[in-house]
Amino acid sequence: MAKEPARVLVTGAAGQIGYALVPMIARGIMLGVDQPVILHLLDIPPAAEALNGVKMELVDAAFPLLKGVVATTDVVEACTGVNIAVMVGGFPRKEGMERKDVMTKNVSIYKSQASALEKHAAPNCKVLVVANPANTNALILKEFAPSIPEKNITCLTRLDHNRALGQVSERLNVQVSDVKNVIIWGNHSSSQYPDVNHATVKTPSGEKCVRELVADDAWLNGEFISTVQQRGAAIIKARKLSSALSAASSACDHIRDWVLGTPEGTWVSMGVYSDGSYNVPSGLIFSFPVTCQNGEWKIVQGLSIDEFSRKKLDATADELSEEKALAYSCLS
Amino acid sequence: MAKQPARILVTGAAGQIGYALVPMIARGIMLGADQPVILHLLDIPPAAEALNGVKMELVDAAFPLLKGVVATTDVVEACTGVNIAVMVGGFPRKEGMERKDVMTKNVSIYRSQASALEKHAAPNCKVLVVANPANTNALILKEFAPSIPEKNITCLTRLDHNRALGQVSERLNVQVSDVKNVIIWGNHSSSQYPDVNHATVKTPSGEKGVRELVADDAWLNGEFISTVQQRGAAIIKARKLSSALSAASSACDHIRDWVLGTPEGTWVSMGVYSDGSYDVPPGLIFSFPVTCQHGEWKIVQGLSIDEFSRKKLNATAEELGEEKALAYSCLS
Repeated sequence: MAKEPARVLVTGAAGQIGYALVPMIARGIMLGVDQPVILHLLDIPPAAEALNGVKMELVDAAFPLLKGVVATTDVVEACTGVNIAVMVGGFPRKEGMERKDVMTKNVSIYKSQASALEKHAAPNCKVLVVANPANTNALILKEFAPSIPEKNITCLTRLDHNRALGQVSERLNVQVSDVKNVIIWGNHSSSQYPDVNHATVKTPSGEKCVRELVADDAWLNGEFISTVQQRGAAIIKARKLSSALSAASSACDHIRDWVLGTPEGTWVSMGVYSDGSYNVPSGLIFSFPVTCQNGEWKIVQGLSIDEFSRKKLDATADELSEEKALAYSCLS
Repeated sequence: MAKQPARILVTGAAGQIGYALVPMIARGIMLGADQPVILHLLDIPPAAEALNGVKMELVDAAFPLLKGVVATTDVVEACTGVNIAVMVGGFPRKEGMERKDVMTKNVSIYRSQASALEKHAAPNCKVLVVANPANTNALILKEFAPSIPEKNITCLTRLDHNRALGQVSERLNVQVSDVKNVIIWGNHSSSQYPDVNHATVKTPSGEKGVRELVADDAWLNGEFISTVQQRGAAIIKARKLSSALSAASSACDHIRDWVLGTPEGTWVSMGVYSDGSYDVPPGLIFSFPVTCQHGEWKIVQGLSIDEFSRKKLNATAEELGEEKALAYSCLS
């Protein structure tokens, strides 16, 4: 007997990331090939015609798993009954805009969408915020949707996590599927800390540590970190557009592992509500290493944090606290 | 024991359709979730930086099934060892260009790529031409790659086929997965003939004929046909860009069913080398209803063709005959 369809909301659905993401969801990449889906697509009125074009293409592709499409500019209709919400929509930074201007715009968007989600989404709706500043947008959403459990509000750092896996695999000339347990700590920004101290590679002679195999601490503590931190800019330089394909794919990974569970012995990175683990201030949305089971994430505890890492964690936590203060000042 | 990777070429890979297509291939949509893949991405030198951006994103997404990416502007390197070739690259029609100009450009491209494929692809390479004029580009490719079996050279009409399924499903308010056996006859152009005379819908009381259920011949012989024929233009009007998502998805369906087989009792539409079936002139790439088994397609024989349909088949065959003559005149 077929499962009941899951309702998946994508905001900013007429944009680049949305266009990459929706066929992935419709093919079962996000929730599994046996899980029918109904897509809720939201965008702003100026994008209404383009949004309808996306809906038309979804119908044209005749996806067997796709049991309906609700394409709307009405946030209430968009949020109604959704089990998963992927918040891709946000105000992009334009030339000449100050950080505070971008923050003001996005804080306002996430405050109002928080309200609609809280009132109209299905119980236990899982939320993934993608639009930047992702961590702070997620924090605002949490603050203004108090009845959504804080554990259900996350932001995307799986893209950075996957980028780190990719860089290690290229450096070691191994398959990316043989690399695991990198960690992205902190903010989805250039202050993020990609940490390989607990990462391993599957080799013919068993699991080996990345740091040991790479045997180049200068690279791991230098260029590797900055490459991952600045990868978004490198993609923009090459494509003249920001990462859509990899962001969409990583969003699917984030939700899939959250809902279906992480493989044994493997953790992933998610931006989650900090509880003070690893001396990270509580009350921030901070990227941690997590395992997932039965639809819930849990921070991996007990990992050793050396002095170099401690400084990096503190720096990205500081940045997040500043963003939080800025966001709150925009609200008043 | 894991399968050996399959090498899949995508030409025009830095473009819109390529960007939608490559993550689908990397996730196993085209050849199955257990078939590792190596992507060969080809584009022209002006697109080299953008192409590298696509390669970077493919690495960043950490796809478990993706075992390598060859991104190149060299057609020989691109074609070497490929098992599947999806020809998305072509010269787009620009404002002020005559049909003959577009044809001349594309004939030249497909002639030279035919030569490279013939010399360097793996034996039994399966070819899917997407770039328009798809049927005639495929015919040119066939003529200039005589050692590629003619049965291995096809063009995409699965997009039109899926669009027709979608239109029927919307009209009848049924799930698209319950509709089957529409047919797209002829040219991937506005002369195509979307035929529902043998199409059925799965209902609680068994399979019913679409024509019977719709009970509106005027619509089926009129608006339904023109909607499907002109759907590409409708998407461009809504999105300001042509269909990439649905074209990419349909390309995956075309290859998947060809390689893995069509379900029992179901056929699909493919542009294939005509053998004279249904009184269609041989020597054209013409879209027929086909079933697939063991990696081979076979035209469904014995379907009744009424007078209305006969005229439509003849018209689209004539158009293809003219395109063939135009293409050959461009060669001399």
